[in-house]
Amino acid sequence: MISPYYLLIPILLPILGGFLLLFLKIPLEADRKRNTFLETVVILTSILVWLALFSVKREAVQVISLSGAFSIGFRLDGLSCLFAGMVSLMWPLVMLYAFEYMEGAGKKNRFFAFYVMTYGVTLGLSFSYNMTTLYTFIEMLTLVTIPLVVHYGNSESMYAGRKYAAFTIGGTGLAFFAVVITTVYGEAGIFNYGGSLHLSRLTPILQLAFLSGFFGFGVKAAIFPLHAWLPTASAAPTPVTALLHAVAVVNSGVFAVTRLIWYTFGSETLYGTLSETAALMTAVFTMVFAAAMALKERHFKRRLAYSTVSNLSYMLFGILLLTPGGMTAGLLHMVFHGIIKMSLFLCAGAFIHVTGNEYIYQVNGVGKRMPLTFILYTLAGFSLAGIPVFCGFVSKWRLVNAGIEEGSRQGLTGVFVLIISAFLCAMYILTVSVRAFFPVKGTDRYGERSDVKDPGKRMLAPIVFFGILNILLGIHPGPVIGYIEKIAAGLL
Amino acid sequence: MPVLQIEGIMTGAGLSFSADGFRCVYAVITAFMWAATAIFSKEYFAKEKENLSRYIFFTLATFVATEGVMLSGDLMTAFLFFEILSFTSFTWVIHEETKEAVRAGYTYLFIAVIGGLLLFMGLALMQYTAGTLSFDSLREAAKNSPDQSLIFAAGICILFGFGCKAGMFPVHVWLPKAHPVAPSPASALLSGILTKVGIYGILMISCTALFGNEIFGLAVLLPGVVTMLLGAVLALFSVNLKRTLACSSMSQIGFILTGIGMMLLLSSAGNEEGTGIALSGLVLHMVNHSLIKLTLFMAAGVVMMNLNVLTLDEIRGYGRNKPLLMAAFAFGALGISGVPFFNGYLSKTMLHESIVEGIKSLSAYGGLLSIIEWIFLISGGLTFAYMLKLFICIFVQKNRDEERQLIFDRERKCMNKASTAVVFGSSLLMVVLGQPFVSTRLIKEMTGFSGILGFSAFSVENLKGALISLSIGAVLYFTIVRGVLIKNGSYVNLWPEKLDLEELIYRPLITKYIPEAMGKVAQIFGENRILKPLLAQCLRAGIILTRILESLTDGFILLLRKTVMRERKVKSGEESEPGFLYRLSAVLAAGAGQLLYNFTFAMMMTCLGIIIVLCTIIGIMFR
Repeated sequence: MISPYYLLIPILLPILGGFLLLFLKIPLEADRKRNTFLETVVILTSILVWLALFSVKREAVQVISLSGAFSIGFRLDGLSCLFAGMVSLMWPLVMLYAFEYMEGAGKKNRFFAFYVMTYGVTLGLSFSYNMTTLYTFIEMLTLVTIPLVVHYGNSESMYAGRKYAAFTIGGTGLAFFAVVITTVYGEAGIFNYGGSLHLSRLTPILQLAFLSGFFGFGVKAAIFPLHAWLPTASAAPTPVTALLHAVAVVNSGVFAVTRLIWYTFGSETLYGTLSETAALMTAVFTMVFAAAMALKERHFKRRLAYSTVSNLSYMLFGILLLTPGGMTAGLLHMVFHGIIKMSLFLCAGAFIHVTGNEYIYQVNGVGKRMPLTFILYTLAGFSLAGIPVFCGFVSKWRLVNAGIEEGSRQGLTGVFVLIISAFLCAMYILTVSVRAFFPVKGTDRYGERSDVKDPGKRMLAPIVFFGILNILLGIHPGPVIGYIEKIAAGLL
Repeated sequence: MPVLQIEGIMTGAGLSFSADGFRCVYAVITAFMWAATAIFSKEYFAKEKENLSRYIFFTLATFVATEGVMLSGDLMTAFLFFEILSFTSFTWVIHEETKEAVRAGYTYLFIAVIGGLLLFMGLALMQYTAGTLSFDSLREAAKNSPDQSLIFAAGICILFGFGCKAGMFPVHVWLPKAHPVAPSPASALLSGILTKVGIYGILMISCTALFGNEIFGLAVLLPGVVTMLLGAVLALFSVNLKRTLACSSMSQIGFILTGIGMMLLLSSAGNEEGTGIALSGLVLHMVNHSLIKLTLFMAAGVVMMNLNVLTLDEIRGYGRNKPLLMAAFAFGALGISGVPFFNGYLSKTMLHESIVEGIKSLSAYGGLLSIIEWIFLISGGLTFAYMLKLFICIFVQKNRDEERQLIFDRERKCMNKASTAVVFGSSLLMVVLGQPFVSTRLIKEMTGFSGILGFSAFSVENLKGALISLSIGAVLYFTIVRGVLIKNGSYVNLWPEKLDLEELIYRPLITKYIPEAMGKVAQIFGENRILKPLLAQCLRAGIILTRILESLTDGFILLLRKTVMRERKVKSGEESEPGFLYRLSAVLAAGAGQLLYNFTFAMMMTCLGIIIVLCTIIGIMFR
């Protein structure tokens, strides 16, 4: 077993790589050079991460001591393995996609530098061992992604950037309260399955701390009143929306909330408190609210972003049920939703890249021109709506079962709302497919356009990969479920 | 019972398949239906080039999925294949890609999704309460479950979930729209088999988890009765060949659901003989309806592929000199109307018999069941009436346009040999199944209920029921169809456009009201109404406050200068005069100066000080 200091390497490698790219000043046309450099860095990091997952000792290491109980340090446990493993599988693939997607864009050095740095920050976030570290990395994550959101530099993306910064920095500020309180009350805020506070009941100030922590980290998970940044941020290039705003950044919010609930406050302490009920009800409301908003939305990527908002609340709902079954379901949905939403966004991105159109009414008939893309889109859509054979069904099945098993009225309400939301989900996802494949006669927009066809290999590869994963994990999700069940039982 | 299990995949429970009597027979019927429509498809799609491969692919996929449902050994397997066939059969509905087809397709898709999710919910509840989804162990598990109300809730979810596909009221809205727009071979399958898939699911849970549950029996019976009557009325008023057939399907599904409801009620009363008859009647009616609709829709397909229209006015008189088509259609019509010696008669008689049994043994529902018996007979009459309408329109009456009638008459050949064989051959099954010794054997094979072998099909009482139905039908035909529906010699659509459950409630609810309400919430909380103004007001208040605080001192001075320390304005040329306070201070300073530099004053102050100090010391010491 290797010393936990090893964890610093995969965290720092992409960050340094990004800095290097900023200073290297590779000319804009030298795509090949830049791509080779970036892919090397990313793949190397992913390999290092997987090495770490199998061989690093499961103990904490403090790297920097800030003051008193506040310190920066890292440790590997089951949850961080899950998150880091998931992210490290996705990054190299989406990087490939990004190469082709960004081919014509300017300022590639800046874009890719921050894109790679985000990888390191995300890894740091997943390896962090206490609240302070987690908080630091969450704020850093915001900072490194702002240049990505505003990349295009037009008024729309500048607005999105401002909104993103205001929501995430301001919102995450709420969590600072929780960080301080838990660090002072608990064992230096170090994550411990079952909670580090060891309290029999929560005082009002701690309940307030929990709520502020929940909503503070919840900003990243786009919880209801603080969700508005996510749909707006889809003005960013698709690789960013797909990987960061459907998986890495938003799931880091869910990850942080999981840490807050299960590893800091403890499920037994929280169970039945007012603050937990409030948080759960907010999540339940967000599910159906965002789904309805998605149905109303006409912009392709914004619709998917609203769908992400809705699905993130599924995860929060599962985690907030405070039963191991619920946590399993929530984390399972985190993984599977990552795969599905990645598929959906990459397909949407391919459509936008190839045709230059961005709205739903513009997809009429494109399915016949881009069959592979839209077949995979449809399959991912089925998965998201919770239709069997696909992986989304498994996680939804688990969520519903967990909600029913939890037995309280909240759980059943949540399940009921989840079903409604799933229905809306099927509507907003599948209408796109129907439009793409079955245009009403005479409304086919792409009948004559022979330039519209499936994108190139580098864009198709990740789409196909996630499509296959979608079905494979739907048919045989056993290993993933087993691993997550162990995490939820506190065995890893 | 042969069972195949695939363990450990999907949600962990795996898949299982089994093939006992009912499933075997229905799997064979499914295969037969597909084979028949496939043969017919060759001619039907002869002109079609585009999208044909898509049609073929999805037809085969639906076939696989349907067989999967029909042979499933547990609810999860049934659910899996049910969902697959929901989506693969969607391509049938939308195949033509016309505006109506796309609209009907959306309706079909969303009802399918709703059905799938209801099933999903029901399955989850069932899994939790009963602990198993396998059909074999479900009855015991459900009986032993402590929480019967959850079992019932699960049953309701599953009922409506499968009911969506079956076309049960109030989730029937897709059926009258989707069947007519699909290609005819697909319509035959949609109507003949896919609705039966829904029925299969309802039947399966009725026979296992909820067997003998009285309230669930009512929950199936009442929508069933409504479906039965509503479908028949819609069919009577329809002026489109395939729409009439589609509404007829809905009505026949109502008959089957009524049978399931009666079976549950009778089993709750412990009447085994009645339960057996109800079960026999409904499975036989399932088989009959599948085969009848196969024939009728293929006959409609013949009309469609030759004329490309389906409205009754246009196709009137088309079949006047096409004896084989006429015979096939007549057999189907006679079968579905329940005329003795044709297949529908037997199954309807059995269903009727079960209602009569119900009136005898369920005294609590006697009045309700008597009403239902009459609705049953009237629906049977309506069936006869609308089939008579179709038959007379196509095969007896002449077209109003005489030239068109001439063309019709000249054209003796309406289909090729293969199609003829299929259409006419399948219609002969009506006669075969109309013989009691064939049907009762089939039922025994399917249900294992051997009491049915002694069923006296042609007893006076049973014939009386059929006769009442048929005479009601004849009366209705001559009063309503002849009297009201035909105006100035042409068929008029009298059904008000507005009276459509989907257009009135479902579509606005989902596409308008829910998103609008959510949009309002978003406006209020999310963006513009509260959060943003609130933030702005807070900021503004903060700014004002800090400004005030910041300029507090300045303001105080300003205030003084404006009031008491103001410099008085004087006439030009003179020096400005100091303000009141200046003058006061000057006076005070002048006065005080003299006082302050005075020795006496100093002494006085010293003494005062000494006295105070002394008093303090004394006060402290002698307290």
